[in-house]
Amino acid sequence: MFQNRKEGLALALPAAVFSFLLFLVPVAILLSEGFRFEGSWSLHGYIDFFSQRLNQRVFFRTLKLGVLVAGTSAIIGYAAAFCIVNLNATARGRIFGLVVLPLMISPVARTYAWIVILGRTGIVNDTIVGLGLSDTPIRILFTETAVFLGLLQLFLPLMIISLVSAMENIPRDAIPAARVLGANWFQVFTRVILPLTKEGLVMGGTLVFTGALTAYITPAILGGSKVLMLETLLYQKVNVSNDFVSASVIAMILIVMSFSANLLLKRIATARR
Amino acid sequence: MKTLFLTVSALSLTMSAAFAQDKTLTISVYSFAQDAYKEALYDPFEAICGCNLVIETGNSVERMAKIEANAADPVIDMAVISSHDALALAQKGLLAEIDTSKLSSFDELYPAAQNPLGNNMAVGYTFYASSIVYRSDLVTIDSWGDLLSDDLAGRVSLPTITGTQGPLTLMMLNAALDQDPADFGPTIEAIGEKADDIVTFYSRSSELAQLMLQEEVIAAPIGRFAWSRFKDTDMPFAWADPVEGQAGGMNVMLLTKDSGNEELALQFMDYWLSAEVQTRVANALIDSPANMTVTVSDEIAEGLTYGADLINSLKILPPAEIIAKRDGWVDQWNNVVIQ
Repeated sequence: MFQNRKEGLALALPAAVFSFLLFLVPVAILLSEGFRFEGSWSLHGYIDFFSQRLNQRVFFRTLKLGVLVAGTSAIIGYAAAFCIVNLNATARGRIFGLVVLPLMISPVARTYAWIVILGRTGIVNDTIVGLGLSDTPIRILFTETAVFLGLLQLFLPLMIISLVSAMENIPRDAIPAARVLGANWFQVFTRVILPLTKEGLVMGGTLVFTGALTAYITPAILGGSKVLMLETLLYQKVNVSNDFVSASVIAMILIVMSFSANLLLKRIATARR
Repeated sequence: MKTLFLTVSALSLTMSAAFAQDKTLTISVYSFAQDAYKEALYDPFEAICGCNLVIETGNSVERMAKIEANAADPVIDMAVISSHDALALAQKGLLAEIDTSKLSSFDELYPAAQNPLGNNMAVGYTFYASSIVYRSDLVTIDSWGDLLSDDLAGRVSLPTITGTQGPLTLMMLNAALDQDPADFGPTIEAIGEKADDIVTFYSRSSELAQLMLQEEVIAAPIGRFAWSRFKDTDMPFAWADPVEGQAGGMNVMLLTKDSGNEELALQFMDYWLSAEVQTRVANALIDSPANMTVTVSDEIAEGLTYGADLINSLKILPPAEIIAKRDGWVDQWNNVVIQ
């Protein structure tokens, strides 16, 4: 596009300087806190963090919920995306609009709606008691189930959008051809749809997994201090304990988990080629 | 000529205004009720002193961190904070001794508020009681121990250990369970055994109010300062008077060391502690008065921690004990209660 490389670099320079000075440098300074102990470089902060039972539980809970939310989003997302791409243009636009609509509503409002829905007097418990499935309302709020539902609702649209984009690029005749050649729907999915949409799955999976790891509002409101996750623990370390070393360690763990998830998904996608 | 005259007049007005605002006092306060404070305290004081108040707000941890980070060149002249947080700052050598002779209302303060940390490091400006708010149509609360009873399983919320109410609740549960007053360990174990029966460990009174209005929770310990969130609703909430008594706490004023603005800070503290301002603040239901001469109506008193009998009966956890033992409580809490 550019006559010479210098012009392109010159145009990118302001954004690069901005990002470097106002993002990378502060983040590096913040993260370096986690590697300092009594004035020297050390992994003490990490060893200390992982030696505590509560931190171990929080780490594995965060990982588990991230994987569950991403996995469930993928399953529901594939079904939804398959339906959407097979609709006519008008219906597809409307349904796609409904999928995107929640993204335009504040996560705080969406999460508070869950409190009303999942509470003792909410729709879910009214239905459970009404159907005679339980004599008394069951506790859903402030459990992992509540956090899982909140995160799933929060990030499912990102997975659907990624998969719809990927599925729109599947040649129109590919699926009918596979069916004509005798493939059942499971084989169609595993041998045609999945390989042709893996880029969308990697993109959606990364967005959902990373989002679930780093979301603060939903775990804070629906899980509270009974279902601590890394991001709510991080907030507690900064705002309650004034413990910036542990906060820095948690921030680094979240970054590493996010990048690892992206690399892993890319590796899986590449391996299936 | 006319233009020149107008310009000079405008400049003089601007400069005189600037000089009037030359004196600046930077205070660090809790972030709640700032509009009400502005009306009852800040604006009247600025009019009296001809100075400019700079208000810094935030939670205790943020504000303490700022005072500590700027110890060499203080940016905060005066702060209000809980008594145990003030003691933590005093132990780090960050506070200046208060010259109580400059506080004209000093003798009118409840004795407990006059020198709560020793060495005149702080002066109490408000008390708060802590008890249990509950749904009187669904349950009766006679003891702090009722919070862990089977009857209330799944309907109780407790404050998290890291907040102000957490240690107070521990102290009162400890008394109800007849444990050694110097050791909260067995009480934390008892809470841990009942952790599944506790809806959540709340950190903000607004969070609890919402849960109680939704009938998710029907009983929880809370500070009296948050009682107005409940008493003005349509639901039958009641304030418990447990057999073990009510817990209590105090917030204090302090001067940062070497701020260079001690005179103005003392003038502000003196004004805040005066019966006039304490009455105005109490009538606005912001803070309960520490000045014994303040009188308010029964209706206002209902929303406050008010009166010598009540204040003298409060079970107060010594700040030094909180500072010394808090880390141990938090560690045990995290391992036993949070799952």
